Amino acid sequence: MSEPPVLEIRDLRVTFTAHGREIPAVRGVDLTIERGQTLALLGESGSGKSVTAKAVMGLLDQPNADVRCATARLGGRDLLAMSEEERRALRGSEMTLVFQDALSALNPVLSIGHQIGELYRVHRGLSRKEARARSIEMLSLVGIPAADKRIDDYPHQFSGGMRQRILVAMAVALEPDLIIADEPTTALDVTVQAQILELIDRLRRELGTAVLLITHDLGVAAEVSDRVAVMYAGRIVESGEVAELYERPGHPYTEALLAAIPDLDSPASSLRAIPGAPPNPASVPPGCSFAPRCERASELCTTTRPALLEIGSGRYAACHHSEEMLDGALA
Amino acid sequence: MAPSPDPVLRASGLHKTYRGGMLSRGGAVRAVAGVDLELRAGETLGIVGESGCGKSTLARMLVGLERPDQGEVTFRGRPFFTRGGVPRDIRRRVQMVFQDPLTSLNPRMTVHDIVAEPLRVHRLSPNARAMRERVGELLTLVGLSPDRMGRFPYEFSGGQRQRIGIARALATEPDVIVCDEPVSALDMSVQAQVVNLFAELQRELGVALVFIAHDLAVVRHVSHRVGVMYLGRLAELGPAAEVYGAPAHPYTMALLSAAPVPKPGLRGRSRIMLAGDPPSPVAPPPGCRFHTRCWKATDRCGEVEPALEAVGEHFAACHYATR
Repeated sequence: MSEPPVLEIRDLRVTFTAHGREIPAVRGVDLTIERGQTLALLGESGSGKSVTAKAVMGLLDQPNADVRCATARLGGRDLLAMSEEERRALRGSEMTLVFQDALSALNPVLSIGHQIGELYRVHRGLSRKEARARSIEMLSLVGIPAADKRIDDYPHQFSGGMRQRILVAMAVALEPDLIIADEPTTALDVTVQAQILELIDRLRRELGTAVLLITHDLGVAAEVSDRVAVMYAGRIVESGEVAELYERPGHPYTEALLAAIPDLDSPASSLRAIPGAPPNPASVPPGCSFAPRCERASELCTTTRPALLEIGSGRYAACHHSEEMLDGALA
Repeated sequence: MAPSPDPVLRASGLHKTYRGGMLSRGGAVRAVAGVDLELRAGETLGIVGESGCGKSTLARMLVGLERPDQGEVTFRGRPFFTRGGVPRDIRRRVQMVFQDPLTSLNPRMTVHDIVAEPLRVHRLSPNARAMRERVGELLTLVGLSPDRMGRFPYEFSGGQRQRIGIARALATEPDVIVCDEPVSALDMSVQAQVVNLFAELQRELGVALVFIAHDLAVVRHVSHRVGVMYLGRLAELGPAAEVYGAPAHPYTMALLSAAPVPKPGLRGRSRIMLAGDPPSPVAPPPGCRFHTRCWKATDRCGEVEPALEAVGEHFAACHYATR
């Protein structure tokens, strides 16, 4: 491919300091997203997926967070070499973030028109009148009925699904290269969730935007993503093309997760539960982080951390037992 | 254990309306508007529905935490809501497990005190030593080590805290446990542990469960029968295999169709996409509550409210139920 990937992150590390203790939340994450592609970053709470999203956006400039990264490129531009001002200009126009909770992401005392229009005025220098017209266009694009009448309404006057649509409208308003959607449908009902996922997918197809979808829901990731990266305890433990990864998982954690969720079509008598709980980010076990909960764990797993290695074309897994897993699946 | 036919818990014509205070201009919220259901001994009745459909209010009425405006809940034929409140022995037999284990456990009480509280209230232990032993038994039953009973809730993980909540509910040897979203606050790798625990407890103790959740797959997995709620009413009720396998109400179809499936191979399937959001329970639409979003709706649906009627093996409230 001649075109550079939309997002290229190498060895991202984020460490928080709290009460004098260092808490490594993200421990060396690589991400690559091609144009028009959706990558789902799948993980449980505390796995570091949201911190990864914030770090990529450059929203972790706080005294207790230490963000390090070997490479960070957005569409070929080096994010690390940029000044804070330059990065700021990119946020909202070239890369945008859709938050989980639309009510707290929108300003309650400004009208929707004001908040969407601000994007056009700040980033594109449009006049108020032009910005308003463009905002109405965006609202209709994301399926808000009577957009010209609702443009002066305030966030509380919209339902949860509508508010999430407004956030999506703001995210795609300036046709960014990359949308990061952090659990965009977790707060929504199933029927509304389907609408929002469909909307994000439609806009991705029409505008060719790359999407980084952060989710904990195996179902959501399966519905919309091209590639999936599974995070556990601050690291990516497996990544690959979505169908391959669900059919033949190359990491025991992915395999266990898939076996632990009930299947709507064939209710089994007992779910294969994963013993224990995810490790506390402040005290991750040595060796493989998943070893204490893994049924394949051997002595090697508790002492040596497996590296994320290629196990097939475009597939990576960080497990000493990946090969036997894949062989077992084929046999 | 197979569910026996006689109901332990019966709700008939339940209505609950929350009238707003001075600051609410919107009017009264009709949370539950006419729900009838029966829970048989030893069975699991799942209730699914979206937020605002009244499933939590229903749960609270089924344990007597909330008094219905109209209708009655009976436990083995005895009414719940008497003049003196819910009789103590009924309270003892009908317990509840809450959604968020961190906010439903007192942070300043030890696990021993939390689990022992119902024993103390209902005078089920003759002395402190017997109580301690019983707490130990209960903790073992839910898969926690009795050595940890001197600890506080914050020292446990989410799944373990939910186990403490379940131990507390089991303390009084209830016949019915009403669980309001008991696994939705848990991490997905931990959910299965708690779901399996409920199934195990039911097999061993024969307790009947009302399992309320928004996750369709989880509800299907644990339930013998399932009720689907929409805006304060039951849209469909019947054996789990029937409701999921041959849904009769358009809302159930839409709900099942919208649920994301963890199978990338099924991605291209045709899905029913509902327009808009569920209407507000402050002003539910006239006639069938679902007609504003339903693709089968006719004029009649906007005028006449359909009753919950038998459709094959189960019940559906729709004029045009698929038979």
